[in-house]
This record gives sequence, structure tokens and C-alpha cells, in this order.
Amino acid sequence: MRAHRIIIVIVAAFAVAVPILGSSYQIYLVELILINIVAAIGLNLLTGNCGQISLCHASLMAIGAYTTALLTTRFAITYALALPAGVFVTTLLGASLGYPARRLSGLYLALVTLGFLEVVSIAIEEFSDLTGGVRGLKLEKPELAGFPLHTAGLYYFVLAVAIIAIRAGLGLRHSRYGRAFDAVRQSVIVAQALAIPPGRTKLLAFSIAAAFAGLAGGLFTAVVGFIDPTEFDISASLRQITFIAVGGLGSVWGSVIGSVILTLLPEALRGADEYSDVLYGAILLAALVLAPTGIVGLFAPVFRRLGGGKAQLS
Amino acid sequence: MTWRIASQLALSGLSVGSIYAIVALSLAIPFKASRVLNFAQGELVTLGAYIALVLTSYGLPYAVMVPATLLIAAASGLLIERLVVRPIIGAPEFTLVIATFALGLIIRALIRIHWQDNVFFLPAPYAGPALAVGPLRVNPSYLVIIASTGILTALLVLFFQRTKLGKAMRAVSFDPTAARMMGIRVNTVFGSAWALSAAIGALAGLLLAPVIGINPELGHLIIKALIAAVIGGFGSLGGAIFGGLLLGVLETYTGALFGAALKEIIPFAILIAILLVRPQGLWGATPARV
Repeated sequence: MRAHRIIIVIVAAFAVAVPILGSSYQIYLVELILINIVAAIGLNLLTGNCGQISLCHASLMAIGAYTTALLTTRFAITYALALPAGVFVTTLLGASLGYPARRLSGLYLALVTLGFLEVVSIAIEEFSDLTGGVRGLKLEKPELAGFPLHTAGLYYFVLAVAIIAIRAGLGLRHSRYGRAFDAVRQSVIVAQALAIPPGRTKLLAFSIAAAFAGLAGGLFTAVVGFIDPTEFDISASLRQITFIAVGGLGSVWGSVIGSVILTLLPEALRGADEYSDVLYGAILLAALVLAPTGIVGLFAPVFRRLGGGKAQLS
Repeated sequence: MTWRIASQLALSGLSVGSIYAIVALSLAIPFKASRVLNFAQGELVTLGAYIALVLTSYGLPYAVMVPATLLIAAASGLLIERLVVRPIIGAPEFTLVIATFALGLIIRALIRIHWQDNVFFLPAPYAGPALAVGPLRVNPSYLVIIASTGILTALLVLFFQRTKLGKAMRAVSFDPTAARMMGIRVNTVFGSAWALSAAIGALAGLLLAPVIGINPELGHLIIKALIAAVIGGFGSLGGAIFGGLLLGVLETYTGALFGAALKEIIPFAILIAILLVRPQGLWGATPARV
């Protein structure tokens, strides 16, 4: 058994044991990590692989969260249906953002996604009859097919979804689509010469990123039980960008590592809550200036020695 | 709508637009020089207002406080250029965008830690009851904002046309390598562009403070300034002013005619329409597409 397999087994055993050994707060924390992992994987495929800046990943997460929440509370639809519906709506809106955005790049893309972020937050505040506006929306505990999900049940559900998301991320990353993303990032002209349509590829990347964000949003509603617009503002988008920039751009495991470390870090420094934005900003800045390849890049030789080879870094 | 209401609205639209124009100008100057769009510019506006607040609390008279604020702001612009921007010049656009964003996040969070979400009002000698100008009633603060924008524009035109540093900035923005070979110190030019931009941002903060009060979210107006810059075309100084004024007037009229919800949405509708149809802006010439 190779060393990296052993690590995966240890982490998996730990993840399974959390509801048995952990306090309810620790369970909640691990659930947040898992949700952040799901969101970060989607963003990393779009930004790290396809090279498209997105400042509105948090608003896509908001769309998933609000759709799931409204379907369960206002229309009494079971969570098992509301969650995929949320993912579907988010993917659709992500694609409708990606359609005009596929022709833009760099700065102009940053502006359009920033505009999208603003429009979503205005929409949440304007339609306060439906969304609760700035006061937020409180939710019942979710139930799956008639069974209410209690702490442990919800935890294992989130864990299962996160594992599927990681698998899907790895699969996508190594599929022809994932390679097409990399080609478009590196050179649009070369991609075209290889018969990869850049517009359609970018549109696909936007839709996939939106699907992951919508899924993360739907899980977030169930886990936190309360959503309001401040959860999904520009700082949230920047936090997600910090996850992938620190973990490693273009790497699924980078998204995972970044999400784990940066979700735990503010906990390690508890009592300094007000400094969390300063901390995130400083870490993001330091990562961009000092270590553009992220943790995965910094420790690439170590990972390789563990036996994962190049695939380990993906 | 009578003529009186229409011109009253135009006046307040122009004063809002002037603020957008000033911030859009402060975005355009370093962008022109170093191709870096400073997403932390909104926080430099906020910072300017808080510097003014601190200086005023030390009892400095307004006439001394304003130039002191602009100088301190310019120094902070210089510092930002040296510490954050210069190490990443030439990096991928993602790095530039996110790094300046991160910087803004840090500044805003630090301000919030120190002053919380309180709103402070900065006393200004010109603030007072509305004046009657013909049939119109005019808030003197609005007049000062519009006049300052005019004076600033004139000074910038002189600066870029007549002074050595202004000409050097234009040369660097045209071609940094050629400029360096002509003996222009490109790094000095970058530094001065950021200092100038930070000072202009602080001026916007100074002008806004008596009207809407000082709070950590003051810098949020950067979104409007960015849209103004898109309307006018990036890096075009004339375009920035034109875009800012147009956006301010459009927003005010939309608000008056169709209500607040549409007023909030209209800038983004304009943003998306322009980026789709004419990404180089109504004024600029650089295409945005790949």
C-alpha cells in the first residue's frame, strides 16, 4: 500500500469517527469544512483550470441556498428534492452568466462577475417578502424521504455528498473536459488549433462551477439552519478564492487542503473573530505574492515521494 | 415633470456623478501607468475620510486639514505601490485583481475594528442650509463637489500636458520599455501615479464626508466608479469623467421616474450591456475581447 493511500484511509477513518467522538460544535465545524470543499472544487475548476476569474462564487452559493430553503419552507418540498432543484437552478443561472461572460477575460470578467454579485445581493434585499431580506431566513431541520435528519445523519449525508463531489472533481479534472479547461487557460489560440471551442468550454466551466456552488449552498442551508445575505457577500467570494489560492490553483486536492486549513484557522485563533477578514486578506495577499503555486505546489516534492506521482497533485 | 424638477434632478445627478467621476479618475491614472486596476481604491476613499476625521479631532482647521489629508493619502498610495503592487507587476491578471481586492478587504476590516460601524460626520465650513439659485434650491455641498471636479479636471489636464512628470506618465503608459530607454525612471512614475491616485481618492472621501457621513462601507461606491470607467473606456481620463457624470444623471432620473429598485439595478444593466456590445467603452479604444 502506498503512503498516500494510508493517509487517505486515516483521514477517512477520522471523518467517519467525528459524530461518535466529537462534540456537536466539532461536528458542525467539520460539516462547514466539507461544504467549503464542495464550493472550492467548483471554483477551482473554473479559476484554477479554465483560468476564468469569478468574484461571484458566493452569490451562486446563495442562489443554491435560497432555492433549497424556499422550496422546503414555502412549498413544503422534501429536502431530497429541494437540494437537486437548487443545484439545477444555480447551474442554469451560472450558465446564463457564463453565456455572455464567455467572450470576456481578465479584468472585464472580474467586473461582470462583481456586477452579478451586486445584482444577486440587491435581489435578495429587494424581494424581502420572499427571502426575508437582510433579516435572513430561518429553516427547519431537513428531512430525507420522510426521516428527519438528526445530527449524525446530517453529518454522514454531507460527508457522502462531499466525497462524491471530490470524486466528481477528480474525474472532471482528468476527463477531456478538464484537459480542455487547462488548454483554454494556457492559450486560447492553441486550444482552438486543437479543435477545442473556447467559448463552449468556458460556458461548461461556468456551469460546472455553478453546480458545485449550488450544491454547497443547499448543504449550507441544512447545516446552518439560517441564511442571510451577509453570508454570501464579496468577503465570502474572496474567502473561497483564498481557499484555492492557498491550497493550490488548478488542483482538486489543493481545494481540499485549502478549505480544511482555512476553515480551521479562525477557530485556532478564537477570541480574535474581528480579525478574521484581516487574516484572510493577509493570507491571500501573502499566498499570491510569495507562493503563487499554493501549498500543493510548495510540497509537490513531498507528495511525489509519498507515492502519488503526478496524479496526486491534481 | 416640470422644467424646475428636471433641472433640480440634473443638478443632484451631476453632483453624484461628479463623485463617481473623481473615483473613476483615480482608478484610471494608475491603470494607465501600470495596467493595474486597483480594486482597493474604494477603501482609499474611505481611508481619506477617516484620515480627515482623525486630523479634525486633533483640532486642525479645515484649510490645514485638507492638504494634510491629501498628503498622508498620497504617502499611503506610495507605500501600497512599493509593498503590494510592485512585487506583482507583470503577474497574471488574476493575481493583480485578487491582490488589490485582498488589500481593500484588509483596510476595510482594520477600519471596522477601530471605529466599528458608527457613522461620523465631518464638519465642513461650506456645509449649511440650501441656497436659492433662481428657482432652484441647491445644497452648497453639491456645488462644492461639482466645482471641485471641474477644478481637479483642469489641474489634471495641465499636469499631463505641461509638467515633466505628467508627460513622463503618458510616455510610460504608451510604452514602458521605450520610456525607460529615454531615461524616464519608470518606477518613480509608477509610484507617483499611485500617490496621485490615492490623493484623488481621499479628495472624494473629503467631499462625500459632509454629505453622507463617514462609515466603513463608504468605499462601496467603487462599484459605481468601475461602471463609470467601463462606460467611458478604461484608462481614458476624459472617458472616466464622462462615464461618471452620465451614470450619476441616469441613476438620479431613473430613481425619480421609476423608483428605487430600478435605480439600484440600472448601473449593472448598463455595465452588462456595454461589456457585451462595446467592451472598449463608449470612449476608449482598447478592445477587451480575447
